Amino acid sequence: MAITILFTSFAALLLMGVPVAFCLGLSSMATVLYIGIPPVVIFQQMSTGMNAFAMLAIPFFIYSGDLMIRGGIADRLIQFASSLVGHLRGGLGQVNVITCTLFGGISGSAVADASAVGGIMIPQMVKRGYAPDYAVNVTANAAIIALLIPPSHNMIIYSLAAGGTISIADLFTAGVIPGALLCLALMVAAWAVAVNRGYPADIFPGFLTVARLFIAATPGLLLIGIIFGGVRSGIFTATESSCIAVIYALLITIFVYRGLDLKGFTHATLGAVRTTAMVLLIIGAASSFGWLMAFLEVPKATIALMQSISDNPLVILLMINVILLVLGTFMDMAPMIIICTPIFLPVVKAIGVDPVHFGVILILNAGIGLNTPPVGSVQFVACAIGKVSISESMKTIWPFYGASVAVLLLITYVPAFSLWLPGVFR
Amino acid sequence: MSGFARMLTRINARLSLIALLAAGLGLIAMTAIVAWTVFGRYILNATPTWGEPTSLFLMLWFILLGGSVGVRELDHMGFDVGLHYLRGPAKTALIIANEVLVTLFACAMVWYGTELAAKVWSDRLPMIGISKGWDYVPIIAGGSLIALFSIEKLLLFITGEDLAPMPLNANGLGGEA
Repeated sequence: MAITILFTSFAALLLMGVPVAFCLGLSSMATVLYIGIPPVVIFQQMSTGMNAFAMLAIPFFIYSGDLMIRGGIADRLIQFASSLVGHLRGGLGQVNVITCTLFGGISGSAVADASAVGGIMIPQMVKRGYAPDYAVNVTANAAIIALLIPPSHNMIIYSLAAGGTISIADLFTAGVIPGALLCLALMVAAWAVAVNRGYPADIFPGFLTVARLFIAATPGLLLIGIIFGGVRSGIFTATESSCIAVIYALLITIFVYRGLDLKGFTHATLGAVRTTAMVLLIIGAASSFGWLMAFLEVPKATIALMQSISDNPLVILLMINVILLVLGTFMDMAPMIIICTPIFLPVVKAIGVDPVHFGVILILNAGIGLNTPPVGSVQFVACAIGKVSISESMKTIWPFYGASVAVLLLITYVPAFSLWLPGVFR
Repeated sequence: MSGFARMLTRINARLSLIALLAAGLGLIAMTAIVAWTVFGRYILNATPTWGEPTSLFLMLWFILLGGSVGVRELDHMGFDVGLHYLRGPAKTALIIANEVLVTLFACAMVWYGTELAAKVWSDRLPMIGISKGWDYVPIIAGGSLIALFSIEKLLLFITGEDLAPMPLNANGLGGEA
């Protein structure tokens, strides 16, 4: 009964439109009152949940990404990507995918990716004769790559949700190949649609231009190297390396790119506050929710339920994927990771799936959910930029969904895509 | 009631800006402190032990002040499709219910936050030497702000008055969603 109260009150509050952080807190309150535990425990758990040093990496990552955007990094990445893949069929679509991948390494956020890259690319594509729905769909789907390419702050949320026991360095490394696969799959989808619609290709500008533009983009790309290298080598923790990324981004945008003034700095700082404080508040509220789930033995019940349907690991993984895809259509990334990790991680562990591997599956799943209405924050951003309605975008998004889901199935059933690279580094 | 709502929204606009700026300063301070800790460890060979607990303490303030601002400025993630499609009295009832529920939770934050703070007030936080009760003060402060902002939104909805924007927004201060 208590479990029913916890979940139905959460779902009801969510459907009512109460902000997620308060849905979590209020449903925990209702459950605690029902069981008869003093409600003070909710706030104690909330405070404990907001007291993890690793959490600090989240605002730092977003902050460094925001600073880089203000400093004009997106333009340089687009120029470099144009020189690299602009001559392929559907040139600007390909440029978009590559830019989102590179930019994803810097921002780690799909929404930031869609708004920063899309803000420049979508109008440019439309001006050059590409249909707006194509421009929007390429951007929205390519932005998801950001979630897999290190450093991704969602990997940190996952590690926190799993109780901080999973190595962030391993998670970062595990995302590299799946991220590259998704990039490749979306390039193929963008190519196929471009051929179908007869979109043009640009002329290859020569290797000298590619090299010159690469050098111009290098200071930005180095940021990925600093964070990834620092965490991977164990010299810095994720929090420390993300903090160094902020300092580095400041130095680069002020002294090298000379694109940041005081106004830009204030914007980036306050923007980072507004984007991240609410995510961290959700994590805090979710820790009381998570504590209650553990207390009520929800994970144990889920394992029993899943195993009563099938004991075949392949079937269980498929079921979890379907559940996650459905949940993803109406839940945002962070709350989804925080709520689903404690429920499903024990289930997949019981069937022998590596937690690092599951992290990649979960994050790609939640990522695809960012492009599905009714709640699809990345799709909404891209549609708003391209002035395309959600239903218009939905009509032609299918090749891109196809590519993403194919990659999802591939990484679900071939663990080596996620686990081989971390093994090499270990 | 209209007059009271107008006064409250003007005060809250300022409170919201102050909270946002404080959280922004907190972010800058946390960056500086963590950077200094790394510098101390690798360059000075002396890790400042106060670094980590101080940045954690600042993060609590950052989360609760920034999160409260989000309640007023509608930054919070939520599922608003139902609200979007509803019309008439059902929509009115739902909007009122939402604000009342958030206000209730915010009041609980203040109440139980105070209880927790009072219980551990005589203990000290390791490394930074202040009372352990301070760990819960951000929850009390955040709860108070969220309650004020939700009551404001409720009153504005009932009286039909407009939300006063954060005063410095026009000058470029104040982030975008």
